[in-house]
Amino acid sequence: MKPVNFAAYKYIYTTRIEKSLAYRFDVFAGILFQCIVMFATAFFWKALFAGTASVQGVAVNDMLTYTVISAVMSVFLAPNVEQRVIESVRQGTVAADMLKPIRLFGEYFAEDLGMCTALIFQNALPILAIASLCITVPKPASCGAFLLFLLSFAMSFFINWLLAAIFSMCAFTLMDMSALVQVKRHLIRLLSGSIIPIWFFPGWLANILRFLPFIYIYQLPLELYIGKGSLSAQLPQMGIQAAWLFLLLSAFLILEKRVLRNVLIQGG
Amino acid sequence: MTGIRHYLRVFMESVRMELLEVAEYPANLAGWALSNPIQFIVGFATIKFVVAEFGTINGWNYGQLAFLYGIAVMSHALSMIFFIQGWFMGYYVVEGDFDRYLLRPMSVLFQFFFTNINIVGITDLIPGVCVFAYGCAKVGFAWSVGSVLSLLSLLLGATLIRGGVYIAMGTLSFWTKSTSQFAMFTQEFFDKTTMYPLSMYPEALQFLLTYIIPIGWISFYPAGELLGIEQTRFSFSGMPFVTLGVGIAVLMLAGLFFKAGLRNYESAGH
Repeated sequence: MKPVNFAAYKYIYTTRIEKSLAYRFDVFAGILFQCIVMFATAFFWKALFAGTASVQGVAVNDMLTYTVISAVMSVFLAPNVEQRVIESVRQGTVAADMLKPIRLFGEYFAEDLGMCTALIFQNALPILAIASLCITVPKPASCGAFLLFLLSFAMSFFINWLLAAIFSMCAFTLMDMSALVQVKRHLIRLLSGSIIPIWFFPGWLANILRFLPFIYIYQLPLELYIGKGSLSAQLPQMGIQAAWLFLLLSAFLILEKRVLRNVLIQGG
Repeated sequence: MTGIRHYLRVFMESVRMELLEVAEYPANLAGWALSNPIQFIVGFATIKFVVAEFGTINGWNYGQLAFLYGIAVMSHALSMIFFIQGWFMGYYVVEGDFDRYLLRPMSVLFQFFFTNINIVGITDLIPGVCVFAYGCAKVGFAWSVGSVLSLLSLLLGATLIRGGVYIAMGTLSFWTKSTSQFAMFTQEFFDKTTMYPLSMYPEALQFLLTYIIPIGWISFYPAGELLGIEQTRFSFSGMPFVTLGVGIAVLMLAGLFFKAGLRNYESAGH
């Protein structure tokens, strides 16, 4: 087995950070966009909880914390890999990427990590500051809850990235998939608990969703953060999350080999 | 008179061209026909679940919310069919695409505003009509000549308001020379402010969304009046027709702004 050339990936990673820092307008636009969603959702919960102390064992302040942390998480859960693959395949530049002496998806992953690192300072912290001033200071339920959240969020980051990467492989055969990307985006947005947690969904639907990967992207880390449910209920959930991570990683590794074996280069 | 006939012919011709284009790429249409209904139907379903849990949102029950959501989605769809070009004006400016319009013997404003038809927008219209019909059935909407006229006038007005805002936003590119997409923000902004009752926002924000950015007129005020829901301090009666008036005014302002912007056009890229 060849040794992994970490220096090359680190170079891609730092280049991507520098690239992110160059586009100032996009930064403000990104913050504005996240804030619109965050504020609208916060007012939505405030209106719903008016006159009700708690629903499903959750009070309004828990939901506000949930909303704020969801907005911060979403900064890191919008990987560029899909767009990157689709564009490279359409323009044929994927050929040049494949000539580099590193793994194609390794390069894309390093780029996304670089982007996320820049986004900590460009989006996540500003959003957190604005939310703390205008909505609520999003305190975790306890120190232990916060640590569990970090662990679960790390897994959800990988699950989300792997889903995007696996999905992007369709571009090699489908060529145009802008509509499909939208389907996936909407499904994740609506079924992951990113805006509305699935506690509020009918029982049968919630049960189905517990076996799909979506809620392990947003809802589980958020539940851990606000301390909903007991540890004995949370740990098996984290087990399912880890299982999804393992499953998706295996699928990714198998598909990666297959897809890259025969790539059609257009325009190149 | 012949002038109007000529403009009408050009309009019909651009519809025909667009139909031919869609027919050329059926897979594209099929993709959107799948994706757009999912977005709105699943989106409405989640609201329905939440309302089932809590009862109402600011006094709106879920039949009424479906009615509101339906109007919001239908006007969104119509604005996507007729005014989607506002979203891509940055590219027109940077790539020098207005050259084509400037060379033709017809008003640039007319060409740009009214000859860009996007048939794929129908994939948004279908879920909108479904949710709206569901809402009408739930609230027992009273159909009459008057109520149909009100609906038509508010849909037309709401479409013009959205279209006017898109084009006004796009016109900024004449100065910024940037292709930055405002589309995503405007879409998200309109979604959040037209699909839920405006009354759930603080009064200062309601004022802003009524008089500074005329969003309340798109769905909230007219739907509230048609359903006889107690309104906020910013509303008055005759709303569906006010919406039409506001729509025409917004589109005219967007037109003036567009003309001012066009003077700044440098035909870059050519």
